[in-house]
Amino acid sequence: MNTPRSAQLMRDARYERIFFLSMSLPAMVLVGIGALIPAAWIIQQSFQTLGGDFTLENYAKLLSSSLTWRALFVTIELSAATLGICIVLGIPLAFALASTPPRIANRLMMLILLPLWTSILVRTYGWLVLLRSDGLVNKTLIGSGIVSEPLPLIYNFTGTLIGMVHYMLPLFVLPTYAAMRDIDANAVRAAASMGASLWHSFWTVILPLSMGGIVSGGTIVFIYTLGFFITPAILGGGKVAPIAIRMERTLSTFQNWGAASALGVLLLVLVAIVAATLFGAMRLLRRHRVGG
Amino acid sequence: MRPILKTTTALIAGAMIGLPAHAQSITITTAGGEYGAAMKEAMWGPAAAELGLDVREETQSDGLAAIRMQVISGSVTTDVVHLGSPEGAQAAELGLLEPLDYSVIDGEALPEGAHSDHCYPFDSYGTVMAWNTRTYPEGGPANWGEFWDVEKFPGKRALRANAQDLIEIALLSEGVAPADVYTVLSEEGGIERAIARLAELKPAVSVWWTSGAQSAQLLKDGEADLVITWNGRAQSVIDDGGGVDYSFKGSIIGTDCLGVPKGAPNIAAAMKLIAAMTTPEREARLTDYIAYGPVNTAAYEGGLIPGDRLKQLATAPGNLDSSVFSRADWWTAHGEEAQIAFDEMMNN
Repeated sequence: MNTPRSAQLMRDARYERIFFLSMSLPAMVLVGIGALIPAAWIIQQSFQTLGGDFTLENYAKLLSSSLTWRALFVTIELSAATLGICIVLGIPLAFALASTPPRIANRLMMLILLPLWTSILVRTYGWLVLLRSDGLVNKTLIGSGIVSEPLPLIYNFTGTLIGMVHYMLPLFVLPTYAAMRDIDANAVRAAASMGASLWHSFWTVILPLSMGGIVSGGTIVFIYTLGFFITPAILGGGKVAPIAIRMERTLSTFQNWGAASALGVLLLVLVAIVAATLFGAMRLLRRHRVGG
Repeated sequence: MRPILKTTTALIAGAMIGLPAHAQSITITTAGGEYGAAMKEAMWGPAAAELGLDVREETQSDGLAAIRMQVISGSVTTDVVHLGSPEGAQAAELGLLEPLDYSVIDGEALPEGAHSDHCYPFDSYGTVMAWNTRTYPEGGPANWGEFWDVEKFPGKRALRANAQDLIEIALLSEGVAPADVYTVLSEEGGIERAIARLAELKPAVSVWWTSGAQSAQLLKDGEADLVITWNGRAQSVIDDGGGVDYSFKGSIIGTDCLGVPKGAPNIAAAMKLIAAMTTPEREARLTDYIAYGPVNTAAYEGGLIPGDRLKQLATAPGNLDSSVFSRADWWTAHGEEAQIAFDEMMNN
């Protein structure tokens, strides 16, 4: 007597799956056209001479150049530093947001989101005005007698890092905040009732339970920073040259599409390695938690 | 029916033969914008009227890409193309330009160092030294040697993040004569010598700029005290009331040029148009609209250009003897080597 009904249910479920799959088709086609085809084109270009013949020379030149390795190092250095600062600043911020009543938290959230809606160029040039030697920050520091000479806050790694963190922080806070908000308040109360201090329950309850959000926020920040161009280009003063900057130089000063494409493939490989490592770490984390 | 068809054919054929007799139609490709409009008013408009040519204008921001496309596809529609001289040399290297006919065009009018077989230079700008007059009320460096002297001129430098012009300047700062710069650069170890000289200045360089607008901003804000930039950018800061001055002494002169794409439909007429566009009067006229110095030296004779404009032109008399014409063909041949050496110096 149950059989026909459950068969009906299964059929419905299948229709539903097909329906949702077909709904996602336009997005998939877009991703295919917008991401896979250009990627394939770049990979093809990277194995071609200017005349279009097959060659490995682009890679041979790239991997034997100290410029490439230096750019790789700077790219990872910048991404790691940006991520580190985002974690240190972002977790307390997300925690504070998650602990305030939703109505206030939503308003504060708007303040965090506001920079995301502002053009990155405007924001980067804004930093230029604030951080230059006779800018607001240095004038205040000198005026209050904290420093006697203006600090070199832009046209170097420091300036680039400030700009990067400013851009990336909301991207880190959003998923972290979402994860923290979803933690059952009773879990925190239970820890407190067992005598755990706020600090202790933060480390043993809140942080592990929001790890999913932190890892996805961190992944977004790290991978996004790997390919970033505008901020190092404007705030780096020519002294910070990650892969994206080398790519632009290869194109604009050498007009060499093959070499620039090879750099692009290198960046793609770097992103794939980072993503695979993070997914692996997350899976380990989950298994560990289930097992422990 | 048949007679009508015949008449029509005859009319069309007559029109096709007849038209060129009235006015040969030829096409010029320019960069458009204010610059393109200035070239029309001062140069090809009057030249076309004089020659009785019907000139059509096309605008392309990337002239090299445009003629490359035309030549490769085998349908060349442009007769005269306006290029930057580096692009002109590249186009010549790629076989995209007809050799210039110097029996029609005046080769003698060009100063030494500006000559080109394929793309005729007609206007110029200088890569110059500019300084903050508040930092140096007594005046800026007299030459590139002093620009390098961080004791006599302490202060933050800003240089373009590109080897172009800078390696020439580096050699001038060591006392290499303007006429010998490219000979020395072409010698074994010449590029290394220039790069090493730039490395000496590097600790004093606070910014390596990447756009002309940025270099002007650095000057205006006083973020840098000594800036190597293009004369037009330095002038714009002065026009804005910024406390800045600049000098054409030892400037590196870049030029724009006119060429004829390979297989152009009207090669002979194109050569005539180039010759008529670049007469002293017409090159001088161009400076009424835009501060690009004529390359035809005769344009400076007979008071064709007013005195206050003269001060803003890279090729004006008195500036040329200490200056170097950027050699586009040298850069086509050695550019990659020089840029890589430069980038390595910046990264060290």
